[in-house]
Amino acid sequence: MSETKLASGDRRYPHEAGAEPVISVRGLQVRYGDRQVLDGVDLDIYRGETMVILGASGCGKSTLLRHLEGLEKPAAGSICIHGTDIVTASRKEMERIRRLLGVSFQSAAMFNSMTVGDNVALPLREHTDLAESTIRLITRMKLQQVGLSGVEDLYPTELSGGMRKRASLARALAMDPEILLFDEPSAGLDPIIAAGIDRLILRLKDAFKMTLIVVTHELQSAFLIADRMCMLDQAKILAVGTVKQILANPHPRIQQFVQRIADDAAPGSQSYVTGFE
Amino acid sequence: MAILDTVGRYSIQQVEYVGLLAIQFWHGARLLVRINPFSGRRLRWRRAIGQMAEIGVRALPVVCLISGATGLILALQSGAELRRFGAMEVVINLVGTTMTRELGPLVAALVVIGRSGSAISAEVATMVVTEEIDALRTMAIDPIDFVLVPKSAAMLVMLPSLTVLAVFSGILAGGLFTYFTLDMTIAMYLRRTAEILLMRDIVSGLVKAVVFGTIIVHVGCLEGFLVTGGPEGVGRSTTSAVVKSIFLVVLADLICTGFFYFFWR
Repeated sequence: MSETKLASGDRRYPHEAGAEPVISVRGLQVRYGDRQVLDGVDLDIYRGETMVILGASGCGKSTLLRHLEGLEKPAAGSICIHGTDIVTASRKEMERIRRLLGVSFQSAAMFNSMTVGDNVALPLREHTDLAESTIRLITRMKLQQVGLSGVEDLYPTELSGGMRKRASLARALAMDPEILLFDEPSAGLDPIIAAGIDRLILRLKDAFKMTLIVVTHELQSAFLIADRMCMLDQAKILAVGTVKQILANPHPRIQQFVQRIADDAAPGSQSYVTGFE
Repeated sequence: MAILDTVGRYSIQQVEYVGLLAIQFWHGARLLVRINPFSGRRLRWRRAIGQMAEIGVRALPVVCLISGATGLILALQSGAELRRFGAMEVVINLVGTTMTRELGPLVAALVVIGRSGSAISAEVATMVVTEEIDALRTMAIDPIDFVLVPKSAAMLVMLPSLTVLAVFSGILAGGLFTYFTLDMTIAMYLRRTAEILLMRDIVSGLVKAVVFGTIIVHVGCLEGFLVTGGPEGVGRSTTSAVVKSIFLVVLADLICTGFFYFFWR
């Protein structure tokens, strides 16, 4: 599927359809103490597209995601989701926006004191007045969607890492979010399980036409699932574009990243190895 | 100048901590009324009951044992002095009032700090480290409402209950002493104690229990929420929660005792 996408080249991407962006970030500045973590980040994410945020460890990509989720407030800049700036939004507005978002955390973040079923049912029990039988039905359905069934009564600690990740995805899907945010979907998983998660993401995208935002440093997975990519490096966005555009981008840092070249062997960087020649 | 700098920085930190505690308390108190079993949210109430078993029921044997030992020690120590004046019967007054006003609430609070205060901060800190608190916030669930409020409700029910039982076992242990030294039956001892105790003693003991319970829950949760630096931070926040709780409980005890001494005789 991904190969046809890469090869055909004339696939229409959501961002080309002249649509309004669902999320638009302008001039985002984030500082932790003296360290500038994000410096003037501008980014538009359109309805129905899968945006992969790529970058080396510590480049600020997880921080960007945490700001999109409204977990932290930036020093300056705006983040508009459906036209509401979540930086200045009131508590009430923020709650409304949050119901549009589903978040899958790097560590799965399942509540260990509750069963998997209760975990998935939690947002439903908190935010809806649905009958208990309906909640159970939805819970089972959501777990089936992520390829887990019959685990409702197990505790998260009794699941494997990959299953936990799937379960946390089911919980993120419980309220039928419009936008799904992933932090490192395949971190800590073996390649086979990770490929399964990628397949799952692609399936969700096709089935529900959700807007997906995925933070990762796994190139293979990124190329497979992305409509567009955004390359972050040292607190700034280097480039935003389709997979093809990113691969063709001549920027040395991007080429170094997509070709997996170590720092001291990169073209243009001063290295002690070349110093000997 | 370096000393001034350090002192100033430290003071600001402490003031900030008290401020955070106050904000958390106000926020938690407003949400607490919504948890009542009649019109409140069933899910919260269920969690609160689970917490009650954890905080109260399981602490009962330890609280009774320590409080009983304290009562007996009090009777022995005061008896040794009072015998010289031939005023052995004053032991009954002493054990009764001291246990009710002071030692019952304090012993119960100290045991609960050791068992539950540490457990609360460890649990909350772990939830922060494993992103569970972030997950709650992204699900538009208030962490204070979800985590602190059930614990707070459980503590407000259980610490006064534990205190009553602590007082009772302390007084009963005192009776053991008078039974052997004054040839007084336990029933007679209890009747004498009941004559001595004033409503004021009982109310002041229970007020203290409520204040202590509030301190334990809020310090435990705040230390948990403020955890930094991954899993090893959890241990640090637990230690800090216990130390700060003990300090604040004793301080509150002093303030309450002073208040009752001067304003309600």
